[in-house]
Amino acid sequence: MSTLTRRSLLRGSVALAAAQPFTMPHVAKAAATTASVWFAQGFVQDEDVALRKAVTDYEKASGNKIELSIIPFAPERQKIISALTSGVVPDMIDSNPAELLQIYGWQDRWIDVSDVVETQKAQFSETALVSAQAYNSVTKKRATYGVPIRAAVCPTHIWRPLVEKAGFKIEDIPKTWDAYFDFFKKVQDSLRKQGERKVYGLGFQVTANGVDPYNLFTAFLIAHGGQDIVTKDGKLHLDDPKVKQAAIKAAAYLGGAYRDGYVPPSAINWNDADDNNAFHAKLMVMDLDGTLSTEVAMKEKHPEWYFKDMVTHGIGYPADNAGKTVPSVVVVTNGLIPKGAKNPTVAKEFLKYFIQPKVLGEFVEIGLGRWLPVMPSLAKSPFWQDPKDPHLKGYAQQGLLGPTLADYFVYNVAMAEVRTQHVWSLAMIDVAKEGVKPEAAIDKAFKRIEEIFAKYKTA
Amino acid sequence: MMDNASVVNVARPAVRWDTVTRSLRGSLKGGEYMWAVAFVVPYVAVFLTFVAYPVVYGIWMGSEPSLYRELFADPIYQSSIVNTVLYLALGVNVKMFLALLLSGFFMRPGRWTKVMLLIFVMPWAVPQISTFISIHWMLNGEWGFLNNVLFKLAHIEGPSWLNDRWTALGSVIVAHIWKWTPFWTLILLAGRMAIPLEIRDTARVDGATGLKGFVHITFPLLANLYLISTLLSTIFLLGDFNAVTFVSGGGPANQTHVLATLGIRDAFETANPRLGVAAVMSALPLVIPLVIVLMRKLRTAEVQL
Repeated sequence: MSTLTRRSLLRGSVALAAAQPFTMPHVAKAAATTASVWFAQGFVQDEDVALRKAVTDYEKASGNKIELSIIPFAPERQKIISALTSGVVPDMIDSNPAELLQIYGWQDRWIDVSDVVETQKAQFSETALVSAQAYNSVTKKRATYGVPIRAAVCPTHIWRPLVEKAGFKIEDIPKTWDAYFDFFKKVQDSLRKQGERKVYGLGFQVTANGVDPYNLFTAFLIAHGGQDIVTKDGKLHLDDPKVKQAAIKAAAYLGGAYRDGYVPPSAINWNDADDNNAFHAKLMVMDLDGTLSTEVAMKEKHPEWYFKDMVTHGIGYPADNAGKTVPSVVVVTNGLIPKGAKNPTVAKEFLKYFIQPKVLGEFVEIGLGRWLPVMPSLAKSPFWQDPKDPHLKGYAQQGLLGPTLADYFVYNVAMAEVRTQHVWSLAMIDVAKEGVKPEAAIDKAFKRIEEIFAKYKTA
Repeated sequence: MMDNASVVNVARPAVRWDTVTRSLRGSLKGGEYMWAVAFVVPYVAVFLTFVAYPVVYGIWMGSEPSLYRELFADPIYQSSIVNTVLYLALGVNVKMFLALLLSGFFMRPGRWTKVMLLIFVMPWAVPQISTFISIHWMLNGEWGFLNNVLFKLAHIEGPSWLNDRWTALGSVIVAHIWKWTPFWTLILLAGRMAIPLEIRDTARVDGATGLKGFVHITFPLLANLYLISTLLSTIFLLGDFNAVTFVSGGGPANQTHVLATLGIRDAFETANPRLGVAAVMSALPLVIPLVIVLMRKLRTAEVQL
């Protein structure tokens, strides 16, 4: 019988550790059918419930395993960037924020998923399909790196009781752009006369945080005729006088409203959720903000708010000042598979399952319709067309059935940096707070945009 | 000749290796040496993984000169440098000076002093993120506690504290001082308590009481501790982003960022981690001299209080 010595103990331990992978083959087998998925947490719990249901249903149908991590919005973005930087990546993530697809697509960091999209290509809206693409600076080509999952536009949200308290009716709201927003200035003036010390007419996000201010400025830019600032070929058109005039008008209106006291002063420091909270606190009469999060967050707690008091100005934006329809910018959330993913096959299978119209439709509907589907046929369902719901039909019309555009960063990744660098925000704030003339603020913004675009040369 | 030279050259490393092995082994023999190595290996592995690797990786990430060109051209970086200097200069010095004074107050005998000390350390004891968020809400221009109190008591419409660069930065600095003064007060209080009673009594007999006693006895004996605390606090504060992130959020319009928060912004909000690392690394010319001075002071601290 051999005796246990220090040396034999050390030898034995090392041998045991080395043998471990061979003694547990079932772990390796299990890993081959497992994919890790990261997804942003919903603004309402129902969104997470919807996602979990889709994942569970997939697991049952396929026998594969999805390791799902639901992570709050801002930390998920940090986690994704850290993972892509370190190279230790999950098998699938959602594009949070949306422009990550284009930023890291430029760096050749995603797996091409055109085969996944192809399975439902006929179903997707044109805007969703183009939003799934990015230019790759390594291959010098555009390719499909995203699988469209859900979408959002920026509706306007209005407090009916505040409008009525001011002596107006919702039907009194004008139908053209400047008159539409001027209306809420009148509402504020009237409320102030009645002693409402802290109610503001307009909830403009004149801030340099989050994604809201970029979306707000873009809506105003398009409404004033600056739609062609970046064309579908990815070219920048700052020399177009129409674009420049539109940018000046947008900066003048948004910054001017803040300067003149029609926007809550704290808006200059808002982050993405702060305008929702301020709206719920009835700090302002109206807000222009992405998704239906403002409404659905209150559906359970304050049903009377959801069904009666809150008005989503549906069926699209007001017309431009000349009476023409203003298209809405649609931001699409895509499923992405990073290069270096351990199990892209299962990730692709999961995405193929997920984008089946029935699954995708159920996913957005269980999530209370905060997000829009990316397939026009799904907007015709009883859920979206429910006559008893005051928000959903108009929201679907604005973001799916009406005229829409993909965001500019889809066509040129430089616009993603314009968005993250808050170039438009600084122009608005220059006008709002620093007393800068809109023309000068836009000259400065255009110079910065040119510098940014110069960094991204495409073939 | 050539052959001889080759023999000498070949033999030399063998002699060196033998010397190195002997110096490493010391008096350890056979299995003892193996055990010594076995005990050291985990520490070395942990050190390499969690200390050396992150530092080297960070330096590698921020090593491209183009990053610094991009950084220096960024107007937000320039204002962040000014903010960092102000944050350090005011945040550290006002806090340490207050801590020095308050540590003297808490040396007074009496039960009420102990109760007050207990209340005084509360800001330090509670989690910092929730308190900074509370301060952020208190300073809100429209519905914040501070402005509501001002209006209720004096019908004064308070300013929007966080909407102006200087009031926002001032709020961040005050929040930091409020949060961390108790900690440094406790450190200096411990230093004061370590001054032998005989020295204080002798000084008192010689007429060194009150301010005189502080200037000629207490402060000279506390000086080294005060300096080390100041250096440590400066190093901590350079890497701190909580106060800025949760009180002002770097706003308005990115005007109150410090290097630590700018690094986070560049890395994660603009999705440019290398630029974020470069922003933080640009503080190294300040950090390295501070660490060197601190190390020197810690060496001399053996013979002083």
